[in-house]
Amino acid sequence: MKSVKAHLALILPLFAILFGAEYLIVFDRIVDNYETKLSAEYSLIVVADKALKPVDISRVDRLIDHVEPVDIDSILHRIRKETSEKNMKKIKSIMPSFYSVKLRHYPDKYTLKRLKEELLAIKGVKSVYLFEKMHDPLYEMLAFMKSNFLIFSLLMFVVGVLLILKQMYVWQLEHRERMQIMALFGAPVWLRSGVLFRLAIIDAFIALLLIVSGMFYLMKRSDLVAFLRDIDIDPQTLFHFNDIGLLAAIGFGISIFGTLVVVIRFKEEL
Amino acid sequence: MPSVIESNRTKLAYPRHEPVIKNATFKVQTGEFVFITGASGSGKSTLLKSMYGAMPPADGELVVGGMEIGKLSSSRLYKLRRHIGVIFQDYKLIGEWSVEKNVMLPLIIAGFPKDVCRAQAQKLLTHVKLSHKSDKFPLELSGGEQQRVAVARALAHNPFLILADEPTGNLDDYSSQVVWELLEKANEELKTTILVVTHHIPEMLSAEYRHLMIENGVLYEIR
Repeated sequence: MKSVKAHLALILPLFAILFGAEYLIVFDRIVDNYETKLSAEYSLIVVADKALKPVDISRVDRLIDHVEPVDIDSILHRIRKETSEKNMKKIKSIMPSFYSVKLRHYPDKYTLKRLKEELLAIKGVKSVYLFEKMHDPLYEMLAFMKSNFLIFSLLMFVVGVLLILKQMYVWQLEHRERMQIMALFGAPVWLRSGVLFRLAIIDAFIALLLIVSGMFYLMKRSDLVAFLRDIDIDPQTLFHFNDIGLLAAIGFGISIFGTLVVVIRFKEEL
Repeated sequence: MPSVIESNRTKLAYPRHEPVIKNATFKVQTGEFVFITGASGSGKSTLLKSMYGAMPPADGELVVGGMEIGKLSSSRLYKLRRHIGVIFQDYKLIGEWSVEKNVMLPLIIAGFPKDVCRAQAQKLLTHVKLSHKSDKFPLELSGGEQQRVAVARALAHNPFLILADEPTGNLDDYSSQVVWELLEKANEELKTTILVVTHHIPEMLSAEYRHLMIENGVLYEIR
């Protein structure tokens, strides 16, 4: 029973840290997905009263991926039948130039506002129009949750590491006598601290197993999958196999680091 | 004969305290059996500690096995300790390990294969008349039996030097006799150098071996 408690004292903080890390990864992925979707569903049009070089427009901000002139003929195509050739030429001559601006990623409201101001500052630009699906409230909420979760995860990380270190010290006290005796006979650090490393690695593995099974369980829950689809989130974003590697690196890294801290601070007291 | 221990004006002191040993100048040759005696608190155990590097000298020069203790890095100190056997009054056995595994400890540290360690441990447990208790744990043994296990452990890796701190201090006559016989045997047959710190030298050995004494922090040669 005592041994189970000792293991839980390490497994639970590790699980909390991994849980925080995994949620952060998931939120990041969801927000990224949303940004990709949004960036495919907007249209930023620059209207100029004279012809501009696309490169002059794209130069104003690094956010701009590329600029394409909009073909006026395609705009006038609908009225071509009802309009004479002479009038068409006249219309064409007074028509402003249109440019479609494509961005590298979809920015927040404030960046968009700044970009519009930068574009309007180009000589010859009359107006800038943004046709968007609209800044989705869900996206805003996800972005807000992501930033909050980052703070929460960091706090969880700090508290978790402190609890892990505390547990390592408890283990060291339990094993101190043996470590002292082994040191007396010249045992190298890795041998006399072997049991601490072994316990840390086993517990990190158990915490990893718990978090991965938990995520698989959530992925298989049909009600959760349906809910995610309802709010336009791909359920596949919930867990990727790559996450296992990242979580393993975090879990094993923290527990081995904790053990090293305790081992380095070991002092002989014979 | 080469010196196993060479101490030249060694001074030993705990931090913020007066020196326990003010001057220890002596040599111990290979194969010698030496007793160091002194009153309680005279610094006998401290002097022994310094010989396995648990307390480096505050001043002077202490060389054990050709290595100057005060100047050793921790990795070299651990290497030196792998060739020394230490026996304590309070045994210092690992409670959660079996008797056999306790005896195997120096051999495990030296990196011997498990079957070699086990065979050597069994041989020594037979010498200390405890082969029938090899699967027991230290707390299941009497004090005398635990000390015999500690002696077997100290001998397991054929060390060039055995340091014993009051090895029979808590033992009955029978166990004391077994311990002294084992140490004598190691000294005679394997030429292991033995240095024993004790309150008084047992009568059975008193006339035969070299005797040093600590008084007022200074080490004197008695015999």
